[in-house]
Formats: sequence, structure tokens, C-alpha cells
Amino acid sequence: MMSFFHSYTPLFELALFNTLLAFSQYVVLRAGVFSLGTAAFAAIGAYVAAIVVTTYGLPFWIGIVLAIAIGAMVGALVAIPLARLRGVFQALATLALVQIVLSITLNWVDVTNGALGINSIPKTVGLVGLLIAVAIVTYFMAAIGSSSIGRAFDVIREDETVAVSLGISVVKHHFIAFVLSGAIAGLAGALHSYNSYSITPNEYGFNMLVIVLAMVVLGGRVSIWGPIVGAVILTVLPELLRGFQEYRTVVQGALLMASIIYLPRGVADTLIGAYRRRRIAEETSRMRETVTA
Amino acid sequence: MLMQQLLNGVVVGSVYGLFALGFTLIFGVNHIMNMAHGAVFMWGAFAGLYAVILFDVPFPIALLIGAVGGGMVSVVLDWVAFRPLRKRGAPEFSSIVSSIGASLIMLSLAQQLTATRVMRFPFDIFPIVVFNFMGLRIQLLQLIIVGIVFLMVIGLLYYLYRTKYGRHIRSVAFSEQTSKLLGINPFAVNFQLFFLSGALAGIAGVLIGIVFNSVHFMMGEPLLLRAFVVIILGGLGSIPGALIAGLLIGIIQTLTVAYISAGMADALVFSLLFLVLLVRPTGLLGNSGAVARVTRI
Repeated sequence: MMSFFHSYTPLFELALFNTLLAFSQYVVLRAGVFSLGTAAFAAIGAYVAAIVVTTYGLPFWIGIVLAIAIGAMVGALVAIPLARLRGVFQALATLALVQIVLSITLNWVDVTNGALGINSIPKTVGLVGLLIAVAIVTYFMAAIGSSSIGRAFDVIREDETVAVSLGISVVKHHFIAFVLSGAIAGLAGALHSYNSYSITPNEYGFNMLVIVLAMVVLGGRVSIWGPIVGAVILTVLPELLRGFQEYRTVVQGALLMASIIYLPRGVADTLIGAYRRRRIAEETSRMRETVTA
Repeated sequence: MLMQQLLNGVVVGSVYGLFALGFTLIFGVNHIMNMAHGAVFMWGAFAGLYAVILFDVPFPIALLIGAVGGGMVSVVLDWVAFRPLRKRGAPEFSSIVSSIGASLIMLSLAQQLTATRVMRFPFDIFPIVVFNFMGLRIQLLQLIIVGIVFLMVIGLLYYLYRTKYGRHIRSVAFSEQTSKLLGINPFAVNFQLFFLSGALAGIAGVLIGIVFNSVHFMMGEPLLLRAFVVIILGGLGSIPGALIAGLLIGIIQTLTVAYISAGMADALVFSLLFLVLLVRPTGLLGNSGAVARVTRI
């Protein structure tokens, strides 16, 4: 049993890291913001964390705190101008952000070491650290999700006009969503750089953006289980398909298309919906029995 | 020197414009952000390249095959990725995700096919003829490219605004429901639309493949990313906007590479996108009333 865990530790770690990224993407999508900025926030978090430790020699927890804070700050900075944009325009603006961060990390060689990335970062975060982080973020997301903020997110996503007429400030909640997304992605980036010894700019490019979006679409955008399910499926699936190495991307693409066409609400949300419907049906049939009896 | 760079910028920019035209056309009519447009472009270039390698066809035929190849790939893409979503009336989010999936599949297949090699058009595909004009070195190929692009744009505008088919397309862009009531078959319209868009991308693919002398499976990605900037700058759905913005981006990029640094070019171009979205999200020629459709020139 222990050897099983041991040989699969990297896979577990990757799944946990992906779950964090998926949460960052999930929180904006839930609020109806079509942001693709998660990869940019994660890159910022990773570089902040790596530089804090390698250049300044500070302890790693300062790096994590700084990465979260700066991630949240960038999220807030992006949210202010993006409050005017919707849908496709938001997607494009955040895509531009990813590209801007990518070219900064590639070209600001003095600080980021350019395309070589930052190497020999001491490994300070293991499986346990990642587990704790995911547990805290999951709890936090669940708490927010069932609070008034979560309800407001749901209303805004479904219909902005209704939200406004209910007195919900769209700008404010979009702002909250961006800050949360930035903070979580910053944390994910920091943990990744403390977990993997080295970071390079191209890890945080278009590919990451696509995979993270795929996780949330596949898992579901409403319930808290969505990003977790999506991250686990899309982390484990490539391992199962290792024999078909060449067709991994094809399968990923096909899965993404199939899930948005045939399962538009995602695996978790569809299952939860089906479960609720069945419970309601059972309740009503039981009530009918008691009435007839 | 400056004039020479400007000239290079115009050539690159007109190809950007051609690529962005197909993208903006689909957005204008169907409100789909076709993230697989880069893959269509790449397959168009492949079609042209393989025609040249296998059958030794001349340059104009290669262009034609690239156009038809790109067009067919694009039509299949529509059937597989977008039609089921359109039927359901899914939100724009869905079509973006679906086209990302389609793009992954198309890129991966191309990678298998070519074993990740960078391929080249034969050296003699286009004769190297250089004119000297007022101290400028102008290649015949550059002239031909700019000529082709302008011809395509004029042809497209004629098709959309002066023919029956174009009227159908614009009518569907205005409202698919109303068009159906008037007896227009949206299936045929979307077929034309995606074929046109893919054909434009395919021609751009063959041209880029010859100009930069490389054809590989990732060649679409930088163009797709540029195309976002081009269409936003020009106004989503605006055809002249796409061309003008394409030229502008081409020139800005060439000048940045020449006078500042190659690394700065990307940062500058994408900062420009950010800036345009903030100051004037409808772009240079976009119309803020209607969400910039091709009905408005």
C-alpha cells in the first residue's frame, strides 16, 4: 500500500496542483466572468515565490504569502478596467494578459532568467503541504459558495439584468471573483515552484489556459465538486492513456468537445442535478402514498 | 531603412488581415470565436505544401489547393464542433470551448502526420525577382502577396454586398430566425460562410508558409493570437477594420522588432489589445450599436 502511494506521489501532487488552478478558473466562471487569466496569475505567483527564495533567501512561507497577495493584487488591478467588458471581450483581454505576462517572464532576463526559467528552487512543499492547501481552499470556496456572495455569483451568471434589479452590484462581485481567482492561482503557482525544483515561462502559457478551462468545463461550473472532479479526470486520464502517448491530445480535445456538446453542465453538476431530481421524485411518491393511505 | 521596414510591415500585415478576415466573418454572422481558425490555417498550408511536394504543382495551383483544403477543413469543423451547439442555442462560451477542443485534435493529428518536423516549400516554388525602386528592395513575391490580399478583400466585399448569396449571409447575420421565415436556408449559408473563412485562412497559410519558408503544426498559434488583436483593433465583425488593423499590427510589429527588440514586439502588441479594449472596445471601425456585424461596413 505504501509503495503504491509512493510511486504515484507525483501524480497526486499534480492532481492537487491542478485542482487549485481549476478552483481559480471556477470562481470566475461561476460569477459569470469569462476570464482566462488563471495561467497569468499562476505564473506571477510562481515567479514571486521562486524569486523570494532564490534571490532574497527568505523562508518559503513568506513566498507563499507574497504570492497570494500579489496574485490577488493583480487580479484586482485587472478587474477594475475589465468591469466594462463582457463575454468574448473579457476572454480576449485576459488572454492578452496571459501573453503579456509570458513575454515579460521570457524577456525580463535580469529578474526571471528568461527562457531558462528559475532552477534549483529548494523543495519545501510536498504532498502533505499541497493537501492542506487544497483542503483550505476547498473549505473557503464552499463557505463563500453558500454565502450571499455565492448566491450573488449564481444570479449574475444566470442573468445580469435580474441581478441588478435585485440590488446586486455586478461590478463589486466581478471584482471579488477576480481577486479570489488571482489569489488562488498565485497560491497554486507558489506551491508548484516549491514542489517542482524549477519553473519555466512556457509552462504558464496557452496550454495551461486550455487545460485549466477544460477541467472546469468537464467538471462543472456551479457546484464546488466541479473543479475537483474535472482536475482529477484530466490528470488521471493522460496516465491511463500512456500507451497511446501520441493520441493523448486527441483524446483530450475530443473529451472537451464531447463534454461541452453532450454534457454542457459538466460531470459533477449533471450528476448532482440527477441526484436531486431523483430525491424530489422519491419525496413526492412517498407523499402521494401517505395521502392515499 | 525605415521605408524598407514599413514595406515589410505592410506585407506581413496584409497576410494578418487575410487571416483575421475569416475569423471576423464567422464572428460577425454566428457570434462564434473560432479558436480553431489557426488550425484551419495550418491545414490549408499543409494542403498547399503536400500538393507541391507530391504533385509538383505551380504556385497558383498550390494557392488554390490551400484555399479548397482550408475551406473543407473549416466546413467539417462547423459540422462537428458548432452545429450541435447552434441547434441547442448554446451560449457563446460553449462554442469557444468546443473550438478549443477541435483545435487540439487538429493540431495533434498534424503533429502525428509530420512527426513534429518543420517542412519547407521547394526553393523554386516562386522565382526570386527583386526590383529596386527609389532605394527600396521590393520582391515580386511581396507585390504578389499584397495584390492577392487586396483582390481577396475586394472579392469578399463584392460577394457579401453585391450578390444574392451575400445578401443571404447578411440576413442570417441579422437574424437566423427571420431568415428562415423568409425562406433562406441557414445550412447553406453556414456552409458558404465556413468555406469562405477557411479558404481565406488556407490562402494565408500557403502565403505565410512561402514567405517565412516554414510549415509546421504550430504555425497557426502566433497568427491566431495576432488575429485577436487585429479583430479587436479593427472592430469585431468589421471587414475593412480587419484589413486596416492587420496592416497596422504588421507595421507596428515589424518596426518594434527592427528598432526595439524582438521580445518586446509581443508585449507591445498585446498591451495594445488591452488598451483598445479599455478605451474603445468596439475598435476603430466597429459600431457600438449593433455588436459590430458584417451587415455594417
